[in-house]
Amino acid sequence: MRYSIAFVVLSLCAARAGAGDEQYALGADSKRREGTPAGKVSKHGHKSEIFPGTERDYWVYVPAQYDGSAAAAVMVFQDGKWYVNEKGQFRATVVFDNLIHAGEMPITIGIFINPGVVPASKKGARARRNRSFEYDTLSGQYVRFLAEEIIPAVGKNYKLTADPRLRAIAGISSGGICAFTAAWERPDYFHKVVSHVGSFTNIRGGHVYPSIIRKTERKNIRVFLQDGANDLDNLHGSWPLANHQMAAALKFSKYDFGFVFGEGGHNGKHGGSILPDTLRWLWRDWKPVPEKKAGKDGGGKK
Amino acid sequence: MKRSVPGRRLAAHLLLILFAGNLSAQDMPLEQVLIDGEGWELVGEGYKFTEGPACDPAGRLHFTDVPGDTIYRLDDNGKPEVFVRDAGRPGGMMFGPGGKLYCTQGAKRRIVAYDLEGKLEVIASDVRSNDLVVTGKGGVYFTDPRARRVWYVDPQRNKRVVDEGIERPNGIILWPDQGTLVVADTNSSSLWTFRIEKDGGLAHKQAYYTMRLTRDKAPQSGADGMTTDRDGRLYVATHAGLQVFDTQGRISGVISRPQKAFLSNVVFAGKGLQTLYVTSSDKVYRRKTKVRGLLFSSHQAPPAKP
Repeated sequence: MRYSIAFVVLSLCAARAGAGDEQYALGADSKRREGTPAGKVSKHGHKSEIFPGTERDYWVYVPAQYDGSAAAAVMVFQDGKWYVNEKGQFRATVVFDNLIHAGEMPITIGIFINPGVVPASKKGARARRNRSFEYDTLSGQYVRFLAEEIIPAVGKNYKLTADPRLRAIAGISSGGICAFTAAWERPDYFHKVVSHVGSFTNIRGGHVYPSIIRKTERKNIRVFLQDGANDLDNLHGSWPLANHQMAAALKFSKYDFGFVFGEGGHNGKHGGSILPDTLRWLWRDWKPVPEKKAGKDGGGKK
Repeated sequence: MKRSVPGRRLAAHLLLILFAGNLSAQDMPLEQVLIDGEGWELVGEGYKFTEGPACDPAGRLHFTDVPGDTIYRLDDNGKPEVFVRDAGRPGGMMFGPGGKLYCTQGAKRRIVAYDLEGKLEVIASDVRSNDLVVTGKGGVYFTDPRARRVWYVDPQRNKRVVDEGIERPNGIILWPDQGTLVVADTNSSSLWTFRIEKDGGLAHKQAYYTMRLTRDKAPQSGADGMTTDRDGRLYVATHAGLQVFDTQGRISGVISRPQKAFLSNVVFAGKGLQTLYVTSSDKVYRRKTKVRGLLFSSHQAPPAKP
């Protein structure tokens, strides 16, 4: 009996959380296809110097097509455990398999990284959770951590690109603003950004980005934003309004950007359902323009 | 044991909710703290500079008048009465194990502790200090703003410097589980966190909390005394007001100051530790809340969440 009451209460909560999300489902590109080679995923641990005392896990996805003969593109996902989960809302590794196989994105090594935690030093004490500090802070500390600690660590085992146009970064919620901040601080390092229900609100001052974007010389970055009408409205701000403000500022400053606004809430259902198209858009020009073939008909025509 | 089907479904739902909860990470808006219609009430006035609000095991507030060299406590009717005269510029205070009142004694460069009768014991001497926090085991961390130091006095009364370099270390407090120490920097927007190691030393210093600044005082926050509540919120007295932070270091909001004067310190006291008391220049105020404070000397912290 106790169970059933709790169950009803929990079900009600779950149902409320799902308002507006029912329409979003994963498509064929997010499911395993026979004949499409699957990449390999390995799990690693990391202790950081740049975020002193923090420990975290990350996963490295290596596509089947990678053979080490050429440098691979890199895409880093914050809250990696959610994106790498093959039963989750994004299933990014499955989408990678399908899109890489189809030639719609480059051979890309995926780094799926969790936020840091400073573990407690004694029993019964609470760990210091560093997610908000790392993701919501407007500074270059996090991108420095990726560029100086994580990507070099992965680069010991794999040949990774040095071309910022072949580096992308993605995240959900605070991970979304984190991805934007990384590219904003280091456009020479990350060119491509994907934000799902991004927290461009005042958690740690991130609400100022729209005005900063309008009054800063344009940076060479490409930004994709996804949000929904049922996203959060709380003490930190209104997520739908904040994402509209971001999109309007990116438009005003003539950025290469995409904005998909639906009806979802604060989760990855909508973002996950459109991830294949998002990645196609993000990587749409990844192939170098083919050199004109001498002789034939002058080339250049599509 | 055989697991029932509803149990498994419950577990699945719990997982779902934990996932969703993680994403929006337990917001702690001010409305969880403040009661509609309850504002600041005057507790006492006519002092030179109030400081050191501390709560005894019975919930009774004690505070100091620093230039007045006096420690006060509230009598049974909630009126301030003198507890210790000629207290030697008493500053930060907190009750520790055994109901002793630990106090910084600026005029004599000491940390002292008073028992219930006001009898004095010297905890550390030849040290400058501003504010202190006492652990459940009787260790004392205290700040020396001028030398930019944080000190630790272990329960055997051995003292040592455990941090140097914060620009103006001032208020000092523990998380409810006493595993993390927080030190306020008056001169910047940062509150610094440290992990407390087994030997009492500090590790993994981080500017975990960023305070709101006022236009006229920036870049100084004016951060002074702090307290924590049972849910892990952190309260810090600043120029902007009484700033409240959640367990992930995110600002929840700013509670207005009771008067347009320096806000020096804060503590939970009173019945159920549900009343916020603040010291502000010549006055002491209180305000009822929906939350509860805690005493590090007696409170058992709830188990760490998964």
